[in-house]
Amino acid sequence: MAKLAYYPGNVARAGASEVEDCIQPLCKILGIDLIELPKASSDGGNIIRQTSQKLQDSLVARNLALAEEKGLDIVTPCATSHAIMAETALTFRNDPVYASTLNNLIARHSKIEYSGESKSWHLLHYLVEEIGLDKINDLVKNPIGMKVACYYGPNMQREGCCSGDDPFMPTYMEQLIEALGGTPIQYDSRCSSVGTPALLSLEKSALRMTADVLSDAITNGADLLVTACTLSHQNLDSYQTKAGKVTGKNTSIPIVHLTEILAFALGVFPDRFAQLRTRAKLIGS
Amino acid sequence: MVVVAKVWIDEDCITCDACQDICPEVFSVTDETSQILAAVRVDGQFDRNTQGAMLSGTFGADLGDIILEAAEACPVEVIKFELATDGAPAEAEAPAAEVATEAPPAAATTAVAGVSDELASLLSGDRSLSIFFGSQTGNATGLAEKTAKLAANYGLEPTIIDMDGYDPSQMASMKRVLIITSTWGEGEMPDNAETMWQSINSGNPSMSGVSYSVCALGDTSYDEYCKAGHDWNDKIQSLGGSQIHPIQECNVDFEPPWKIWVDQVLPRIACVDSSGTFLENLLEEMEAYGSGDDDDLVEGDFTPTPMNEEQLSITLEIFRYQPEHAHQGWDTIECQVPAHASLQDLFLNVQHNVDGSFTFRRGNYAGSPTTGVRANGRIVLSDMTRVDALVKNGGVLKIEPLPGHPIIRDLVVDMTHFERHRSRAEPWMRTDDRVGEYLSNGTAMGTMESSTALALHQMNSVHSFQYLQGMSETLPHDPHYEGPGIHLQQWIRCCDPRTGQKQRQILLQSLNDVDGVWSEADLASIARQGKDGVIASDALHRVRAALLGEFKYAGKHGRLVKWYGRSVKWSGKVNETTLYRQVLGPLGLVSNVFSGVSARMMLAFTRNGGPPIRSLQALLLPPAGVGRIPNMFNSKVDDHHEVVSIFNELDQRL
Repeated sequence: MAKLAYYPGNVARAGASEVEDCIQPLCKILGIDLIELPKASSDGGNIIRQTSQKLQDSLVARNLALAEEKGLDIVTPCATSHAIMAETALTFRNDPVYASTLNNLIARHSKIEYSGESKSWHLLHYLVEEIGLDKINDLVKNPIGMKVACYYGPNMQREGCCSGDDPFMPTYMEQLIEALGGTPIQYDSRCSSVGTPALLSLEKSALRMTADVLSDAITNGADLLVTACTLSHQNLDSYQTKAGKVTGKNTSIPIVHLTEILAFALGVFPDRFAQLRTRAKLIGS
Repeated sequence: MVVVAKVWIDEDCITCDACQDICPEVFSVTDETSQILAAVRVDGQFDRNTQGAMLSGTFGADLGDIILEAAEACPVEVIKFELATDGAPAEAEAPAAEVATEAPPAAATTAVAGVSDELASLLSGDRSLSIFFGSQTGNATGLAEKTAKLAANYGLEPTIIDMDGYDPSQMASMKRVLIITSTWGEGEMPDNAETMWQSINSGNPSMSGVSYSVCALGDTSYDEYCKAGHDWNDKIQSLGGSQIHPIQECNVDFEPPWKIWVDQVLPRIACVDSSGTFLENLLEEMEAYGSGDDDDLVEGDFTPTPMNEEQLSITLEIFRYQPEHAHQGWDTIECQVPAHASLQDLFLNVQHNVDGSFTFRRGNYAGSPTTGVRANGRIVLSDMTRVDALVKNGGVLKIEPLPGHPIIRDLVVDMTHFERHRSRAEPWMRTDDRVGEYLSNGTAMGTMESSTALALHQMNSVHSFQYLQGMSETLPHDPHYEGPGIHLQQWIRCCDPRTGQKQRQILLQSLNDVDGVWSEADLASIARQGKDGVIASDALHRVRAALLGEFKYAGKHGRLVKWYGRSVKWSGKVNETTLYRQVLGPLGLVSNVFSGVSARMMLAFTRNGGPPIRSLQALLLPPAGVGRIPNMFNSKVDDHHEVVSIFNELDQRL
């Protein structure tokens, strides 16, 4: 059984608890042992970075060092968290002076250092590259059977953060959806931002960006939209009615996180899956 | 085609301007001499390039013929160059090969086969080298980095160590140590070295197995010249350390003496074996090994871009817009194109062979600012982007106009918005009266810190402020937002020490205004767009940090950052309730209630049947209707005090 340190991100154990509900059983089915990091803190969510880059990097490096202490890589279901960790790891590799400064600081407070050995995985990349689509396909019990729009967001779709996938023309999630028995649809906004970091402070722009992504997916025939980011997931879901009101666009579409659709296809929570199919086919939001 | 590797100007230029007229991309004629522009050089300097820095990127290939033309046209023949193809200078004089010492480890690795058994044995053992730096302004830090690069030539495995907070007892177990430190004020340690200095004096760990040397930076105009370096040197010696090479003092012009020191100390310290013994008999061979064979040396980080002659068969999809009919759509063209061709070459081919009415902006193949387009999702300049960087054989290449601008025709966009905002933002240089400094010969001298100059140069090195605008995904949704291209220009002026205080305040206020830098909803969409996107995104993050400090976390954005940080500091986690309450306030929460946001959060209607009790709990917790958050209440990460202490050390404003 593969062992990975688990970093839930900033909201999987709060507002987006459905992600936490699903990732635990699906990883058991796929033979991934999620090891808790009880000392891991928030990664700053690129919000703390706005006041202090060094502070955010220190928090992230400390989390990575906690995983490294256990000899493990980190896996997370959140694209933003993964991108933040991957970026910090890259900075440590490219700037040994800065790395040394932060390591001294972390060592003073937590008695650990980050050498760069542990890396971050987004769950999507780990499944495609390490577990394998064939194995996942073999384990499917409830094929999705719907047309799915895959949403990556901009955070992890950049060089150094998306493993072997293409940053601008990604295919990993589409391949995974096919393996789960769904039909991925093509649409342009897969990697577009929905303005999550500014949702509370710049709502109008964020809602317009959200509406663009949702209406693009709907126009191209999607039954539901699957996200790879817990933060964008909340944004696309909770704010979709408001986004529709502000822009006048059709934004009504069910939103699920990647972990949910995986768990449903692997046979977890069949009642929730039934409810989702009903919403997608009959209610449409 | 001629490919020029490097070009430089000899003495006795008569400033006739001929070279600048022929090739303004490379040559710029000042009052004194012609010089090589920083934009085309790997070292980013602006001088005659007598050090022989390579031409960066594809400039050597793109401008090779024109550089030769300029050299031939020079009436006093002071333009010298070296061709990449023959590997030897085309003229008799080669430039000083100072940078040749920065050969990559590969140069050293290839020489292993030719060394004696004794040296091979030495190289196969522990090769760790610890380079400590004590730095106040960054000069010692920069030298530590350069030293580390050079150390690899001698088969050493360098680790750069910031003295800040480092436990000196760990130094006692090291075999090879180099210290590079400046002196601050009247003989004081730089800030980052002070704690370690105190620790080593209180602990006095034995350094009997340590071979070391010190490079001390200072300024002879102070009484205590290089005192910090001497303190370290004396201290380690008194603790039993073996001085492998005498201390090197470096005055304000620190690079030349550092170079002398590093050339001598590296082979010596590389001859220290795993047990800490200095093998002097290997010194001569080690020097030869480290210097390597000149044929193997590669200067700087320059790597010529390979020419790929492969033909790609691609499907080209081009956005078309005809204003006279208000008609828009896509042209699909199956075509074959050389892999190394630029997008602009491709567009020209389409225009010549397919549709003469196809319209786009042309550039000079060196990154013309207005040639921005979106190609397969990437924001690029069409005159400097190769086709094979965007699409593989058999793939689809989708070309759209630069986002965020009204379209005039096909790929040509209207940049009036950009210019209008730039005019309003006034990112011009306005200085205050200031006291200059002069050299002894009376020539005025710039006093900018090298680290400041480097930072300004890096920010200015983006190819186009116009195409930065296209990287923002917020700009198309907010017509009042000025855009990242404008804000980066304003920030560059703010960082420039020559900018007057009044102008700096005006610029900061403008950046903080309603259409300023906070109007960007997601800097991640900019950061993903290659090197220029990263430069802009990093700079705009620094703008925000500066504004938060300047305006004390005012406004919604300030509250968001402040309370996000505080909630993490208080529990180690993000507390969404705190965020919603503090940032939105009562009116915002009520708005969410009536717009359906709270309903979708609370009632779990869209959340696929999670336990309903959670949602009911959320209803009962103040402020009602902000999300399903009870799981995290009163919970903290383990050893949360560690997070608090990191916050307290780095940013006590939160």
